[in-house]
Amino acid sequence: MPRYGMFIDATKCVGCHACRVACQNQNELPAKENFNRIEEREYGRFPNFNREFLPVQCQHCDNPPCLKVCPTGATYKRKDGVVLVDDKKCVGCKYCMVACPYSVRVISEEHGVVEKCRFCIEMVEKGKEPACVTTCMTKARTFGDLNDPNSEVSKKIGKYKAKTLRADLNTKPSLYYRKT
Amino acid sequence: MLGINKILSHFGIQVLPQFIGKDEVMDHPIVDMKSPVNFRMTRRGFLKVAGTGLTAATLGNTLLDFAAWEKEIQAAPTEMIPTQCNGCGNRCGILAYVKNGRIWKIEGNPEANGNLGLICPKGHGYVHELYNPQRLKGPLKRVGNRFEPISWEQAYKEIAQKINLILLENGPQSIFWVNYPQSNNLYALRLMHALGSPHYFTHGSTCYTARNAGWKVTVGQLPCNDLGNAKYILIIGRNPAGGIDLAQVKEIVEAKEKGAKLVVVDPRHSETAVIADEWLPIKPGTDLALLLSMIHVMIKEELYDKEFIKNKTVGFQELEDETVNYPPEWAEKVCEIPAKTIVRITREMAQARPKALLHRGYHGAFGSQYLNSFQTARALAIANSLLGNINREGGIIFPKSAKLGELQPKHPAPELPKVQKADGTGIPGRYPVGSYGDGITHAIPELALSGELKAGFVYHNNPLRTNPNPKRVIAGYKKLELLVAIDTVLSETASIAHYVLPESFYLERTEAVDTKHSGKRAQVSIQQQVVKPLYNTRPGTQIIIDLAKHLGVEKYFNFDIEEGNRLRLQPFGVTLEELKKKGMLFVGEEWKEGLSKLETPSGKVEIYSKALEDLGFSPLPRWEEPLVSPDPKDPRSFRLLHGKQAIHTHSMTANQPYLMEISRYYDMVRLWMNSERGKTLGLKDGDEIEIESSIGKGSIRVRLTEGIHPSAVWLPSGYGIYSRNLNNAFGVGLSYNDFVPTLFDPAVGHAMTSEVIVRIKKA
Repeated sequence: MPRYGMFIDATKCVGCHACRVACQNQNELPAKENFNRIEEREYGRFPNFNREFLPVQCQHCDNPPCLKVCPTGATYKRKDGVVLVDDKKCVGCKYCMVACPYSVRVISEEHGVVEKCRFCIEMVEKGKEPACVTTCMTKARTFGDLNDPNSEVSKKIGKYKAKTLRADLNTKPSLYYRKT
Repeated sequence: MLGINKILSHFGIQVLPQFIGKDEVMDHPIVDMKSPVNFRMTRRGFLKVAGTGLTAATLGNTLLDFAAWEKEIQAAPTEMIPTQCNGCGNRCGILAYVKNGRIWKIEGNPEANGNLGLICPKGHGYVHELYNPQRLKGPLKRVGNRFEPISWEQAYKEIAQKINLILLENGPQSIFWVNYPQSNNLYALRLMHALGSPHYFTHGSTCYTARNAGWKVTVGQLPCNDLGNAKYILIIGRNPAGGIDLAQVKEIVEAKEKGAKLVVVDPRHSETAVIADEWLPIKPGTDLALLLSMIHVMIKEELYDKEFIKNKTVGFQELEDETVNYPPEWAEKVCEIPAKTIVRITREMAQARPKALLHRGYHGAFGSQYLNSFQTARALAIANSLLGNINREGGIIFPKSAKLGELQPKHPAPELPKVQKADGTGIPGRYPVGSYGDGITHAIPELALSGELKAGFVYHNNPLRTNPNPKRVIAGYKKLELLVAIDTVLSETASIAHYVLPESFYLERTEAVDTKHSGKRAQVSIQQQVVKPLYNTRPGTQIIIDLAKHLGVEKYFNFDIEEGNRLRLQPFGVTLEELKKKGMLFVGEEWKEGLSKLETPSGKVEIYSKALEDLGFSPLPRWEEPLVSPDPKDPRSFRLLHGKQAIHTHSMTANQPYLMEISRYYDMVRLWMNSERGKTLGLKDGDEIEIESSIGKGSIRVRLTEGIHPSAVWLPSGYGIYSRNLNNAFGVGLSYNDFVPTLFDPAVGHAMTSEVIVRIKKA
């Protein structure tokens, strides 16, 4: 059984937001609702200066805080590690949105349910990659099986000693980052 | 050096203080653009359809049947049609997915040279314009201060009557066509030539004509960069990760993975600087000093390719004599890059040559920015030549381009117009180095005000927002006896037109076969219809053919787009059907290293240009100050720079909610200013400031950052929409054009859009 995950090389992200709009199209989201946020940070003083863009989306935690607080069991984790929301069960109470330390869950105004990155699972099951990965011009994103030590994603995580966001929270995310 | 009077004299302009603010907009009509249908097929929308017949009880508190939607996603018949994007002028190869008769999404065509399977945010977002309720839904005619619907036939008839009258009274040179991008210029050019007019314009003079001219004079043509194989890449002013070129970014990243070094020279920490090994924040307008000094070091330390210089260039001795004046210590004072850094990067590049290149550039730094831009482009071409990288792998290469088939002899071409272009491009004594093919588009208002131009067609272009000095542009275009806009929305320009002909959206129409995507092997490509037009619109090519028929020049247009495309493909042994299936096809031979005769007078790289000398311009790049500079004693004085963000193209995407929402959420409309300068002015990050130049003023929030040279402020382009008909973008942000006076470079005629000083204070 694979465990899906992603390596994000924040040193390569140029903050173009193609991932965001590609994702919106794939998931047929309205303009104001999106699953990808980019945080920008500045380092140093002129002229020794750099910027870094950090793309943040559902971290598909192995220990997801959102799941624990869901009163209806709408949020669930698949065997392959993908965390999903069952829209049938979601009542839009937003507890999960509060519980998520990464603030990546959004309420759908249109549907009254909570939504988030689904790793484009219907594409992945067809052997394709998530929309945010295929559109990225700097190839800042690598998707694959974390359980396979020979997968590109596992190799890159090893090579760059990539870390998860807020590891101190023990959420055990499936997204690994290389940062400056 | 030619003085400012000379610069302005060709069009008799006086730079007078004239103000345009966001509120001071023209009295254009507002059209009720309510959409009859909501086209967005949402999951909820799906439920409504799928759930018909379900009882309320069955639905219960289930707001949405996600499983059903997911099933539908997989089961719905999805059709994929390859075509070309229209989100900018690059026209990337895309695969459009249609589900239930609606556009669902696009993916990059992996075959496409220009985007290598990738799509930028503009491409993804611009798809939604298809369902934009503010799209034009039928032809419009201006009646007083309102637009009224008109039939296509009646519109054509009235336009033809007026054009024919103007032709009779003023001659063919009084008519013009402005085009963006260059896709179907074959048809537009044919129409203008059929009418006897040489006046075909692109947006070039506000974008890239100085760069093109510099390369053309030096090596005979505009080359491209073999970034993927380079070991050392120096980029001056160009920002392919912001003013997006997907293939270039991908190639840079791949080259870097193979160990290449990337150095970005830019007054602002651009998005390309984000992935660079080094950022060199140069004082804006002094890129020429950096290049002259690099040349100085290369010659002094004998780092250049002697074999190449000896066999393939003319004028090296004169260059040596001239650049002896530009040691790095001198350049450091001018451009504020340390002398030791200049020496180091020059040595590093020489070490990596011939797989070392200075990017050919685009808009920034020397596309159309400064009085010295043309000679900056020349110096850049010469620096590349010294590295011996011309048409070498990992260097500057001449792309393989496909020569498309001609419509003639089957459909005879009209004679080339005998009259000269009124903008003076290619004419000694006026703008001899200017591009005849692009024209000087920002001269149109002047030529309209002087009465030389009387009627114009503006195709998918918006000079009222994208040309400098809007007040002047509005006055010029309003003076026209006839203005016909061909567009998909009521842009600023369309809003003052006498007739607006609605073009089908790019996903609804087929265009002329194109060779836009050329690189190491030429490609032919097609933008083809993906969905049926939603409204009473027509493809641009059809509009041109229709106009020709009504204007009495139908003998040059006895074909349709289908036949035209077959004729264009004839030389390649590929059928239109094959092309439609794949979207793009490689044709012709692979690129090979090596240099034969160049298209210059000497057939060699012209370091020294006799032709320029004969025209009265400097035959060698010499240091030239920018036209204007900020006052170092005035804490409020800055040079105004501008540039693209990855999410917007010119003025055409700001109204698109999927893209504008990003601008709003991240407040990306802010003006960049160096933190220290901001502190001096008592500013905090996010404060509102007032900005004023000799021609305009406005207010905007400031982004205080360490990522910009202290002498300049930077405005993102794409904002400042003042057409009330584009209500999502109306009044959001500022356009640099509101501050830039009307200027013409003396050699090329480019707009010198960074030759503008602004004064800034806390609002």
